[in-house]
Amino acid sequence: MPASAVRRFTFAFGAAFALFYVVARLRGLALFTVYPAQSIVLLGMHRSRDFADPVLDFLAPEMYWYGWTASAAVCALVIGLIAGLLPDRLNWFWAWCVWIIPPMAMAACVYLTIPWFRL
Amino acid sequence: MATTLLILHGLVAVALIGAITHQALATCAPPNAKPNSFFGRFRAIPAAGFANAIVLLYLTSWLLGAVVYLYFKVDIQPTLERDRHWHAMGFLDLKEDFVVIGLGVLPAYWFCWRGTDNSQHHHLRAALTILLAFIVWWSFIVGHVMNDIRGFGS
Repeated sequence: MPASAVRRFTFAFGAAFALFYVVARLRGLALFTVYPAQSIVLLGMHRSRDFADPVLDFLAPEMYWYGWTASAAVCALVIGLIAGLLPDRLNWFWAWCVWIIPPMAMAACVYLTIPWFRL
Repeated sequence: MATTLLILHGLVAVALIGAITHQALATCAPPNAKPNSFFGRFRAIPAAGFANAIVLLYLTSWLLGAVVYLYFKVDIQPTLERDRHWHAMGFLDLKEDFVVIGLGVLPAYWFCWRGTDNSQHHHLRAALTILLAFIVWWSFIVGHVMNDIRGFGS
């Protein structure tokens, strides 16, 4: 594979990963949900309180972080592969994207975390 | 098992923070730094040689952290919520977000450092290195605070 295609893939992957992670976190788009107490993994996003009494939620804590990461990775892989097929003249665009989007995504994550600091 | 993994996670993180800090300072040091100054010595070391090790250490640390996080969710988080450590939970949330964003940036970072032409991607390489250094430092500090939370600030 030519170096320029690898460059486009890696730059687009990094930018898309950050963007889709924030989208997944914002919209709750987890590819799967992990229940560590029960050692169960369910496809898609589930909430314990949908299946059990809300007061029993602590017995089956759910984890979305792995699912969000997987969702972002799959979407970024697709964008990266598409970018790898595009012409060289778009290299500057992907370089700018990987420069700008990850810090912006981090800022968005700070915003999404604010509720913890208001408790 | 969880304790062993946590100690391993910490040890890998120490190696990672050393490597990324060294590389970030070498990248940012002024080109006209005196040869015998602190930055001058940093620049004298080939920073590109750290890239593969940093990628490997970052992946290992992330993997260990992801496994330890399962134990944390079941055994530690309920206690933290009971004791109303909301700020600590917020900082940990940010840690997990930042670490994943860093994970996505890792291939681009690796590509920027692997080239033989040092002038190419110089600014992007510096930016990604600083970004990763920030993420690693943030994660290291938050991880330490979480590890010592029962004694920290109480």
